[in-house]
Amino acid sequence: MKKRILLCLVIGSMLIQCMGVTACGKKLTKYSMYSFDYFDTVTTISGYAKDEEEFDRIAEGMLEELGEYHRLFTIYHRFDGLENLCTVNELVDGMHRTVTVDRRIIDMLLYAREMYEATNGIVNIAMGSVLSLWHEYREAGIDDPYAAKLPPMEKLTEAAKHTDINQMVIDEEACTVTLTDPSMTLDVGAIAKGYAVEMIARSLEEREITGYVINVGGNVRTVGAKGDGETWTVGIENPEDSVNSYLAYLGLSGEALVTSGSYQRYYVVDGKRYHHIIHPETLMPSEDYLSVSVVCTSSADGDAFSTALFCMNLTDGMALVEKLPEIEAMWVETDGTRHTSTGFERYVKNIEKR
Amino acid sequence: MPASKNHKRLFRNDLIFIAVLFVLVSVLGLCFYLSHGEGDEVVVTVDGEVFGTYSLSDDITVEIRTGEQGKELNLLVIKDGKAHVETASCPDGICAGHKPISRKGESIVCLPHRVFITVHGADKKEEPDIIV
Repeated sequence: MKKRILLCLVIGSMLIQCMGVTACGKKLTKYSMYSFDYFDTVTTISGYAKDEEEFDRIAEGMLEELGEYHRLFTIYHRFDGLENLCTVNELVDGMHRTVTVDRRIIDMLLYAREMYEATNGIVNIAMGSVLSLWHEYREAGIDDPYAAKLPPMEKLTEAAKHTDINQMVIDEEACTVTLTDPSMTLDVGAIAKGYAVEMIARSLEEREITGYVINVGGNVRTVGAKGDGETWTVGIENPEDSVNSYLAYLGLSGEALVTSGSYQRYYVVDGKRYHHIIHPETLMPSEDYLSVSVVCTSSADGDAFSTALFCMNLTDGMALVEKLPEIEAMWVETDGTRHTSTGFERYVKNIEKR
Repeated sequence: MPASKNHKRLFRNDLIFIAVLFVLVSVLGLCFYLSHGEGDEVVVTVDGEVFGTYSLSDDITVEIRTGEQGKELNLLVIKDGKAHVETASCPDGICAGHKPISRKGESIVCLPHRVFITVHGADKKEEPDIIV
């Protein structure tokens, strides 16, 4: 009789084990995909799907959409038969044309105008003339490090005379845009990536797809929680320190995190690093921070505000963030000192260090 | 019918049942282990295609050749459970300047060569899913 009871126990425990295993087998699996094709940076998409086919279908759809935004918003490439920001920037007989563009360009430019107001003019997409000088000198300096130079200040100040955003005239009805100052060009580098990422995330949400995360060069947007219902854990890298690898871990489900960092794109002149976030007044790279991270619901806002805060001193930046309840931020000064806005803590996830 | 015979048959059936269950559990367990139990590894992709997968616990050097006739190089070194780019022929050298990576989700990117090096591993609660 004792044997019988023992047998029942053994069989029972095996059955339970069996059930456990099969339940786990039904779990969604995590897949990832990478691309180098868009916005001159790396894109990663991860998602929980029932099989690889399902993930590939969704992720490839996201990349396709990202590609469309890339072709519309790029200022560096032209595409046959497509009016994009590159053709808006072009001069024909010394003047900018009135260009009829895709509705998505108009919507983004209107959003950029809003952000100009919201950031007190720091995020200004009409800074193309200044930023293209930096771009030109940076590319040349990367190609030939021994001959790397800074753009001359006279050239920068001359270019800065042509950065008035009111010279960008938009006709919403007709879907046209005209730059009335022939020396002015658009550079949407501080906005376009985050905006495109947000649009792609929303298109997933409209289709009620959840359990995905997209990261385009530091513009992270989560769509729902992970497959198991847990929040996504996002580590903010400490670029200088490999012992304390992370500045913070955040738990996100549906929010965006955008980090603007001086270590993401730079070149070296006379042994000093010059990065790509240019202050609209000094016309030089802002040097107060190693990085600024913004958490909010929209990655478009995240992109704009992380750039804006990067160019503001801590007092002004903190005041701006505290006025906006939906935006939280973390500043890391060049010496590693960290500051966070009051609501930032609610996203911080305490996980055990290895 | 003697009671002992009945008892014996019952016992044999039990044994068969247990054996079948045992095999079933082992197979399922093995599947589960294979799909979830792998150690951390370094995955290298070039232009979105997998170039190679290497265990983080092996000390190895990998020549990541790209470009025409493979004239571009990123030299990946895995040592003491960490991976870094020792040298690279790219113009900006940002990948070679990146600190070594070892944790799931960490990555090194070489934009000019479209090389993406990242650490994959099992889902563990204490490690991040994404790193920026």
